[in-house]
Amino acid sequence: MKSLRVVCYLNQFFGQLGGEDKAGVGPQAVKGAVGPARAVEQALGGAGTVVATVRCGDNYVAEQTDKAVAELLALVAAERPDLVIAGPAFLAGRYGVACGALCAAVQAKLGIPAVTGMHGENPGVDLYRRQVYIVETGAEAGRMLAEVGRLVALGLKLVRGEPLGTPAVEGYFARGMTRHIVAERNAAERAVAMLSAKLAGRPFASEVPLPDFPRIPAPRLLKTLEGATIALVTDGGLVPQGNPDGIEPLNATRYGAYSIEGKAGLDAGQYDNVHRGYDTTYVKQDPHRLVPVDVARELEEQGAIGKLHETVYSTTGVATTLAHSARMGREIAEKLRQAGVDAVILTST
Amino acid sequence: MSIRLELRRSQVEALAAAANTRLSGHRLDIDLNGLRAALEADTRLSRVRLDLVHPGERCRIGRVFDVVAPRAKLDGSDFPGVLGPVARAGDGVTLALDGVSIVLTDQQAENAGMLAVIDMAGPTAALSTFGRTQNVVLSAWPASGMGRAEYLAAVRLAGLKTAVHLAQAAREAEPDAVEVFELPSPARVPAELGHMPRVAYVFQVHSHQRPTGVDEGILYGDPVRRMVPTILHPNEILDGAVLRGFMGRNATTWAIQNHPVIRALYAEHGRTLWFAGVVVTVAHATEPERVRSAFMAAELVAHALGADGALLTKIGGGAPHVDMAQAAAQCEALGVKTTLIVEDMSTDGSAEGMLLFDFPGMDALVNVGSGQHRLSFPAMERVVGADDLAAKLGGEMNATYGTLCGAIEQIGATHVMAVVE
Repeated sequence: MKSLRVVCYLNQFFGQLGGEDKAGVGPQAVKGAVGPARAVEQALGGAGTVVATVRCGDNYVAEQTDKAVAELLALVAAERPDLVIAGPAFLAGRYGVACGALCAAVQAKLGIPAVTGMHGENPGVDLYRRQVYIVETGAEAGRMLAEVGRLVALGLKLVRGEPLGTPAVEGYFARGMTRHIVAERNAAERAVAMLSAKLAGRPFASEVPLPDFPRIPAPRLLKTLEGATIALVTDGGLVPQGNPDGIEPLNATRYGAYSIEGKAGLDAGQYDNVHRGYDTTYVKQDPHRLVPVDVARELEEQGAIGKLHETVYSTTGVATTLAHSARMGREIAEKLRQAGVDAVILTST
Repeated sequence: MSIRLELRRSQVEALAAAANTRLSGHRLDIDLNGLRAALEADTRLSRVRLDLVHPGERCRIGRVFDVVAPRAKLDGSDFPGVLGPVARAGDGVTLALDGVSIVLTDQQAENAGMLAVIDMAGPTAALSTFGRTQNVVLSAWPASGMGRAEYLAAVRLAGLKTAVHLAQAAREAEPDAVEVFELPSPARVPAELGHMPRVAYVFQVHSHQRPTGVDEGILYGDPVRRMVPTILHPNEILDGAVLRGFMGRNATTWAIQNHPVIRALYAEHGRTLWFAGVVVTVAHATEPERVRSAFMAAELVAHALGADGALLTKIGGGAPHVDMAQAAAQCEALGVKTTLIVEDMSTDGSAEGMLLFDFPGMDALVNVGSGQHRLSFPAMERVVGADDLAAKLGGEMNATYGTLCGAIEQIGATHVMAVVE
């Protein structure tokens, strides 16, 4: 196997430039291994060589991250590396964020693996664990050789495309992403074993992490319904004929805002339904079964509600990612608030 | 008297076209011409084609609709209510061929991208049960004017007829293995085994996200519209009483015939647990039906079967996933401990999207991986079952696990699983 070209990234302190007084120093590359990069070289054994050490001051990166990362990336790319090892940054916050940002950029732009290491409370962990393999280290550089050894071992596996063990086995922070493996026993056999353990009060490990969704309390309506503006919002897939916003039938990233100004109700001929998660036959026959504009108008006329908001928001809630759901929810809520809406009737399916 | 199923299993290691269908040692000769003529007698079909494919061949089966295992009753009604007359399944002797599968293709679906493939060689073959069996690929074309439901019903019936025709070849054979499935009624537990935890299985057999047609027999030929939960003996399911509906997301009839949960519970029955029985349910389209089904299923599990624990599975997408969880939540509320087999429902590979529910007590979850995870398919030399798509399907493909029939079985027959890292 050919000898791997490895580039290390260090901050001003570990890069032997100096202390806090040198934190503003810009990016530079030096040939060979400097400081902890020598431990990397040692851990590589015969597998590769540290061809360069790229270093930069913590403040320089913190104060202009995008520009600094672009400059660092150019220095790294010039060395044509197979692997980048950043840090470890231990509990140093600015350093950890710089390591995470550089590793993420290296993976995305250069298409090669990058590994860093940090203490669990380094802010870089929460910011970059989803994109980057971050090996868990101590808070301080007391066991540099052993900890760098774990970064290098993980990096070598990534370069060689070898299967990784679980985060606990490999010692990196769970990225919160899933990967397929082939288990020895089929799912039914594992389920019977898990249920037996649960019944006997023995420990068992769920194969799906339990959800940890924040509970959002419903706000109180501070006025009476007679004085309130009410909006209709749905994730049931109502769209005008032709689906002008191109709302996806599942896995939605878009929502539509549809005016009901001057309409006493929704004419079935003018609407369609693109939701692929339920039997939409009855909603297509009569869209009010999903979005009750007809009844809401009557309540508006009777004065039971102050006003019906003239825009209906709609998307398809089926296999939608949590990230997109949260974003669309925030955007719709912001628009409703700006329009002075007091309350929402959210119809789901 | 207890219900007793004897499964006489014969191993098949080679298939060959021949003048008569018969089993010679481990070689199955098939009278393809005679079988095809018999299948073409169905006036809903204009033409039938049968192809034989073998493990190791660089061959891709396209337009896969369902897979059936060859089975025939020594005496009695085959696939009662769908092929044979309604009769009790699960008792007596059934002939079974191992190592051979009947793969049904769908020649009518316009969006063939929704259908699956089976690869006979390479890494994708290793991921699916059906990449490792001798396969009889059954392709049938609709007679003119045939609607979708009529066509699919005819294709499935042709598959069941083929299953019986092939398995009957083992009538005179000395089986390679004989399995006996015997379970007394839930109330009759020998006193010395009364201490064992009682475990029930809640088997969701269909999701009415897409309502069944009149010809879409699922339970003894019934299309299970408006079905409320009911109790079955597990042998009935192993013996053809339950078939998969026509919406085939990561589930095959083959897996139901070899039901992995029922087999795993039988394997532990009398050793570490007492298999208390099976409750079958469907996922519903409306809220009142869903709630009714959840509490009735839990009631049957807890009080009719007297179970201490329940294992639940689902068939279909997101709504059935939540239906299953609601039934499990009702079980937990009655003090019945639950384990669920779930598909990873995340559409962006994030762990936080794996589940679509958040109920207390649902802390024991097994997963069968995600149908949406990417999977590379190597190029093949031959495409079977999808002549119209041969150019596109023969090459390298970047698709998903859900595209590979048999890689993910929602009822737990498969080994692929998602790990969080």
